[in-house]
Amino acid sequence: MRIINPELRGRLASEYVLGTLRGGARRRFEQFLKSDYALRAEVAQWETHLTPLIERLKPVAPSAHVWANIEARIGGASTATSTTQAGWLGSLKFWRGLGVATSLVASVLFAALLTLKSNEVPSADPVMMAVLEDQGVARMVIEQPKSGLLMVKMVKPWGVVPNQSMELWVIPKDGAPRTLGVINDDGETKITMPDMEHRLTDGTVFAITNEPKGGSPSGKPTGSIMCKGTIARMPVKANTKQRGQI
Amino acid sequence: MADLELNKKLAALLSRCGIGDKKAFASLYEATNSKLFAVSLRIVRERHLAEEALQDSFVNIWKNASTYAVAKSAPMTWMAAIVRNRSLDIVRRPHLEIQDEEEYFTLNLEDERAGPHEQLTEGREAAQIETCMKALEADQRQTISLAFFHGLSHSEVSDHLGRPLGTIKTHIRRGLLKLKNCLDDHVGGLA
Repeated sequence: MRIINPELRGRLASEYVLGTLRGGARRRFEQFLKSDYALRAEVAQWETHLTPLIERLKPVAPSAHVWANIEARIGGASTATSTTQAGWLGSLKFWRGLGVATSLVASVLFAALLTLKSNEVPSADPVMMAVLEDQGVARMVIEQPKSGLLMVKMVKPWGVVPNQSMELWVIPKDGAPRTLGVINDDGETKITMPDMEHRLTDGTVFAITNEPKGGSPSGKPTGSIMCKGTIARMPVKANTKQRGQI
Repeated sequence: MADLELNKKLAALLSRCGIGDKKAFASLYEATNSKLFAVSLRIVRERHLAEEALQDSFVNIWKNASTYAVAKSAPMTWMAAIVRNRSLDIVRRPHLEIQDEEEYFTLNLEDERAGPHEQLTEGREAAQIETCMKALEADQRQTISLAFFHGLSHSEVSDHLGRPLGTIKTHIRRGLLKLKNCLDDHVGGLA
């Protein structure tokens, strides 16, 4: 079945795109669209005409959890991107999953998994870790695989804001923030910090801020905090007898 | 032209999404989410519902990216249509509150500062529709704007403006016809 009257076709196509064709009429029209190529072309023409009106709208940022939810929902649709061979620490999927949990649940899981980790792969134990969150969503993971080295990993690629850089700060429990430098917009960043070791005590916070390209000119954070998290010290390396605990 | 470059970039990202490139999808989201969210929020009005619409839309964009055809529509046009359709599907408006005049103006002034470098759709199309909207009679322009930006139905526009339903339908029908003639003239002039 198709709509024959050309004037009616034109009117319905335009009101469909404008949005005034509603309810049952809208759904019926969508049925017609499926089998009517010319009608689809008419709709596409109206979309091409009217859509540029959205340029007038001022952009509004949705909450950060929207992207986390989208990613969770398309998880099964993508080809193998998980990094299982790198273990759960390297598994972005794991951290993404963690991101949707509440902070409390996340930290409980986190503590449990730290112990698990220490039992499973004792040779690769990081000395310390931190999960940097934004409104309960895990955005960045920092680990110290060995003395003097920090690895900063993104849970998901962050949009690159032109002329801005992401800068990592270490904030001692009772001290001023110190920069650890600008981190890469994508993937991993290695930071060597031989003289900062003693600063990574319990209660130390890591934060990432938005800064002008190349980092804060003053050496102090100037931009907004994108995510932050408190240091978590790895349990003293366990011997294999602890394995039964989890 | 900056917007044409951007269009090419978005089209390239969309085609990479079509072959399952999640990184491209993340870039596409970054480049378009705030504009598309504005589109949805204006129609749905409630933030959490608009976020739901945006989520559903991006999942659909991901799933259907392989069917996107550059030749048929600009990437932003294609994505905006998905967002608008989803927003119109889920909009719940048990009763429409009539805004006072001042609020009406704030809602309708839009962002007139958007320069060409910020445009996500093709500049030529944007210029055409703006010219043709200006050529409409005030009543026609107002009813079409209310329907397009705010997702109001005929009867909601009628309630909102306190004018008879039949009058509103006529304004919209005649306005759209006039728009079409104007747009066709412009396309003809360029061809």
